[in-house]
Amino acid sequence: MSKVAKTTYYVPIGPIHPALKEPIRVEAEVEGEKIVKVDVKRGFAHRGIEYMGMKRNAIQTLYLSERICGICSISHPYAFVIGSEKALGIEAPPRAQYIRPIIAELERIHSHILWIGVIAHEIGFDSLLFWTWKGREKVLDVLELITGNRINYAMYMIGGVRRDLKESHIKALRDMITYYWEFTEHMKEVFLSDPVYKARTRGVAQVPKDMALKLNLVGPTARAAGLRMDIRQDIPFDAYADMDVKAVVPQDIVGEVRGDAYDATMVRIYEIEQSLDIIEYCIDNLPEGRILAIPNYIALLNKIKKTAGEAIGAHEAPRGEVVHYLKYDGTRDGPSVWKVIAPSYNNINSWGYCLLGAEVADIPVVVAYIDPCMCCNDRVAVVKDSTGKILDYSILHRKAVEKTRALEKELEVRK
Amino acid sequence: MTLTAEGIFDRLKEELGDAILNYEFREYKMGVKRPRTYKEVWMEIDKNAFKKAVKTIFEIDYPHLHFITGEDIGEVIQMIYSFGLFHEHPWGEVSIVIKFDLPKNELVLPTITDLMLGAETNEREIREMLGIEFDGLKNKRHLFLPDDWPEGKYPWRRDEYGVDDMIKHTHKSVKNIREERGEQSG
Repeated sequence: MSKVAKTTYYVPIGPIHPALKEPIRVEAEVEGEKIVKVDVKRGFAHRGIEYMGMKRNAIQTLYLSERICGICSISHPYAFVIGSEKALGIEAPPRAQYIRPIIAELERIHSHILWIGVIAHEIGFDSLLFWTWKGREKVLDVLELITGNRINYAMYMIGGVRRDLKESHIKALRDMITYYWEFTEHMKEVFLSDPVYKARTRGVAQVPKDMALKLNLVGPTARAAGLRMDIRQDIPFDAYADMDVKAVVPQDIVGEVRGDAYDATMVRIYEIEQSLDIIEYCIDNLPEGRILAIPNYIALLNKIKKTAGEAIGAHEAPRGEVVHYLKYDGTRDGPSVWKVIAPSYNNINSWGYCLLGAEVADIPVVVAYIDPCMCCNDRVAVVKDSTGKILDYSILHRKAVEKTRALEKELEVRK
Repeated sequence: MTLTAEGIFDRLKEELGDAILNYEFREYKMGVKRPRTYKEVWMEIDKNAFKKAVKTIFEIDYPHLHFITGEDIGEVIQMIYSFGLFHEHPWGEVSIVIKFDLPKNELVLPTITDLMLGAETNEREIREMLGIEFDGLKNKRHLFLPDDWPEGKYPWRRDEYGVDDMIKHTHKSVKNIREERGEQSG
């Protein structure tokens, strides 16, 4: 009996996999080293946040939106407040309109540096990962100084911001700006001029401009393909409207576009510099005055309850545009419809395209180059035990309490 | 060449005629030191003219799809499509929002994936969340919901097809749940 050798192999990755930081499943069929068929399954971190938001009041939903994603914990509230202000006819005071972009740009700096570290890790360059992440600590410290937290800053409110900038904060921001101008120069050297980095990223995850349009890509992924799109430029808001932000595209930096992972790195490094300029502009031109349009939250909720309106709020998050559609029906103090589109929702569209014909070793780079964020993309998790029985809330809560008690005992915590 | 919000609307009016039931230009002022404005086009159309409206937008320029969503408002589901045109131009992006009512006994829409490949994600989400069938959509697998999700349940619906009976404690605090059970809180 003759046996025909198998020509293709099935490589499943995820949803739980040591190489993935967040749950997603990529199923690839490979012929030798080449990927011939690919399928992406998402939704493993879906928690029904939009459904929850439609049952809560607007201030609760604002904080909920912050928890869509740990990295974009400013971008979602930003789109939410812009959308709400447009729908409700509230205008934030000038000072708040200048403070908001500062925080948003700080987030962009830390998110981009995080991505650059991750991509270094994915190509097997771990010392570089630690070096870039060491540089990221500075911006996290500044964020902690201003807002009190490294993530989930609770800074924004419908009609302004909750915390003011003090002189000491501005001094820390200026120090940080000097630090990062040096740091980005170093990054350009170690990433963009490095032959090994170039060899691993040039031509990988390449998306031409017309394909980027068809796949509805957004953010640095689309800009790396040469599309000049940026919410801060196209439909600006707050202080961005005063300063003419220009989208960072590779053709303006080196004169040509290839739309690969290397271009994506370049776009992100130059965007850090752009963020530094924006922060500097905002602190140089920071208007005086109050920071909240309606400081009393009860009054704010009452206004929301009485106002009917709908609007689109959009913000350029580090990974691309975040769009929130909000509808207030004038009977409830929260949104009756809330739809969130996060950047990875659109950017994951590119995986199938990029992986086809690529090599197995390129999978991590393709997967990482859009800076995927599953918690953003997915938004009912059902937890099952090993027998397939669904664990409900009460069991999970009881188990959590049991564990805390056991830990307290073990660590001899005194009450 | 870019068109203003009015220019885009004129083109749509030319193609769609009476199928536009209602429209509005919404103007928003942005900026502190140099306030400027941008406009959005919001229109309600006849559901039969939906595909023609989308095609017209694609003829003007290749748009960017912001979102597709829908609201269950009783007898009908109100669909909302938002496209952005001229999104590569500073202050130039015009959002075009198309709304139309879809009766619950006829929840079928033509797909737009033939025009924009990336819309597959959006259509698959709407299909599982609201139970709307897309004619011509090739990949009909669940997107966010698990593969063993019960059939005929749609999380965004507010009628008998909704998920309220599947949700027990989402909107209650631990304190509330304990009180209901007669347990001691704390």
